[in-house]
Amino acid sequence: MDEIVSEFIRRTILKIPVAEILKILRIWNFIPESQLKTINFQKFKEDVCQQVVELCKKKRASMEEAAILDIIYHQTCQIKKIWIVYKMTKTPDEEVDLFDMEEFKDTFKKVLQRALKNVHISFRDYEDNAVWIRIAWGTPYMQPNQYKTTYVVYYSQTPFVFISHCRVKKYIPELWQALMTAGNYHKIRQMELRSLYLDSLKSIVFKQYNQDFQTYCLTPLQEGNTENEIVDPRIINENVKEKERIQRVTRETFGDYVQPRIEFAQYKLETKFKIDSKNGILAEREEPFRCLVKFSSPHLLEALKSLAPAGIADAPLSSLLTCIPHKAMNYFTIREK
Amino acid sequence: MAASQRHGILYQLERLEASEQRSTRRQERHQELEDTESDLEGKILKLRKLRDELKTKVKLQEASARIPITNLEPYEELKNCKENLEMKLEKAKAFFQAFHLTGLNGRLTTKGVCLCFNTAFEGNILDSYYVDVIIKKPLTIQRHSVPVFIPLEQIAAKYLQTNFQNFVYSLSEHLNAYSGRKYQADQVQSGFSAFLARPLQRNSLCTLLSFTYTMDPNEESFPFCARLLYHDLTITLPTSVTITYQGTGATPASWEDQRAVHVTLFYKNALHKVFESFLRVEKNFDCLSSIPRSR
Repeated sequence: MDEIVSEFIRRTILKIPVAEILKILRIWNFIPESQLKTINFQKFKEDVCQQVVELCKKKRASMEEAAILDIIYHQTCQIKKIWIVYKMTKTPDEEVDLFDMEEFKDTFKKVLQRALKNVHISFRDYEDNAVWIRIAWGTPYMQPNQYKTTYVVYYSQTPFVFISHCRVKKYIPELWQALMTAGNYHKIRQMELRSLYLDSLKSIVFKQYNQDFQTYCLTPLQEGNTENEIVDPRIINENVKEKERIQRVTRETFGDYVQPRIEFAQYKLETKFKIDSKNGILAEREEPFRCLVKFSSPHLLEALKSLAPAGIADAPLSSLLTCIPHKAMNYFTIREK
Repeated sequence: MAASQRHGILYQLERLEASEQRSTRRQERHQELEDTESDLEGKILKLRKLRDELKTKVKLQEASARIPITNLEPYEELKNCKENLEMKLEKAKAFFQAFHLTGLNGRLTTKGVCLCFNTAFEGNILDSYYVDVIIKKPLTIQRHSVPVFIPLEQIAAKYLQTNFQNFVYSLSEHLNAYSGRKYQADQVQSGFSAFLARPLQRNSLCTLLSFTYTMDPNEESFPFCARLLYHDLTITLPTSVTITYQGTGATPASWEDQRAVHVTLFYKNALHKVFESFLRVEKNFDCLSSIPRSR
């Protein structure tokens, strides 16, 4: 087995948390179960990696199989890459587009390999009729670098493509061309939406996050004040009306469902500075005031949802914050009207 | 012409004249090609229009062949008040039943109406899909649970503002057909996996199904490779069926006969029903083989 391949496999296994290694190797299905049982997981991680590499050497793993292992790793441990959403469009056609996954993969591979000489392309089918494409980029004079990869996730018969952020930006146009030709689309544009959480991006663009229609149609229950069981009827909550109003407005804006998970929202302001007094340097300034505001959180939308009930912000919140899932954007540029 | 010199002016003029003639001929040919191209394009549009008209005609005929539900008796003055109320109740129940059978219902919301599409296929109740419509000018869809690959935007662009009934009907057609195709594929995958060489391949809309199968699950080989295409998003039976030989060597004559039979079966029956028929054939053979040969 090639030194490059064995080193690549070793480094891939090293990235996997020890608890997941066996699961991922089973999904990979390259090393038989009988040999997997011989791996001693009690040792140090480097040792475990070495054991796996030895087993792979015995079966003479090729770069193709190692690439599949890499895809499985990224499919299982998903929060490793930033995903950017792209939308493809085509002129509305009378004819029904019969999408054949095998044809898509063939065409994609042909078009990309025709445009670029040294690329290594691997596919792995995924649930819900989707495919993960892994592309290792080379140059006309160098073999593909397996550590500089771009991932593409595409759900069949949808206009959206999820592409992982990669430092190699030179060949992005060729990638777009291959996707459009294979998927039968004419244009592609980058949406202002990106996140670490691929599932959340999918639920935002496929509009799958607000699916509680059964409860939506029923009248909302009167929320009683369940915080403190106050026995004495002379003690009342002074702000009960305001609290109820805030709860109602929050529910109307955000719904009862769990928000999709994104970790930041960025607002680029290109607006003129508004100030009352005519004096000062900033007053009457013709050029727009450039400013970047970034909100970060482990779970941004849930955090925004809890701002008004926690008393930190007024309800209703600014529509710039609440429109994130509806507009499928978390990168905004605000200009003068 | 023999008098003109080799590279004299007259010769040059002759050459220029000849090349001009060639270029005008080329232009004419090009123009002819363009004309035929636009003619053919016009023909294509006409044929497509004709095809769509014929399709709607067929659909209308099929719809009118169904028994009308609203054929109720005219209201009659009844002597007894109680009987009157009971009859009204019965009529109302019948209406609700009729609507429930169509799988469409709606509920009023604070801003508009929430439509519920309950899909079914051959008596099996399948998934439900919801569309929230806000009633204001223009009508907008606030949110929905329709899968992203159903052309909701196209249907809405075509009908939502102009003909709400058509919008509902068209969307219901698409959703029911998708549910039906998905149900057939799921049934085959779960109930008849022994007949398949590997998991059935499909796209999101289930408009292209590809599978390799056998009629006898006890056999080692899977000699049939079928490809079903559904060129219309509102139908549940395929528009194109191709079966190819999946074995080595020449195709046996018996395979050809079976292929012809299978093609017809796939065109006319739901997918899982075809596999059910294979199961019945196999069971018949088993019964026959268990009969003692004493004659």
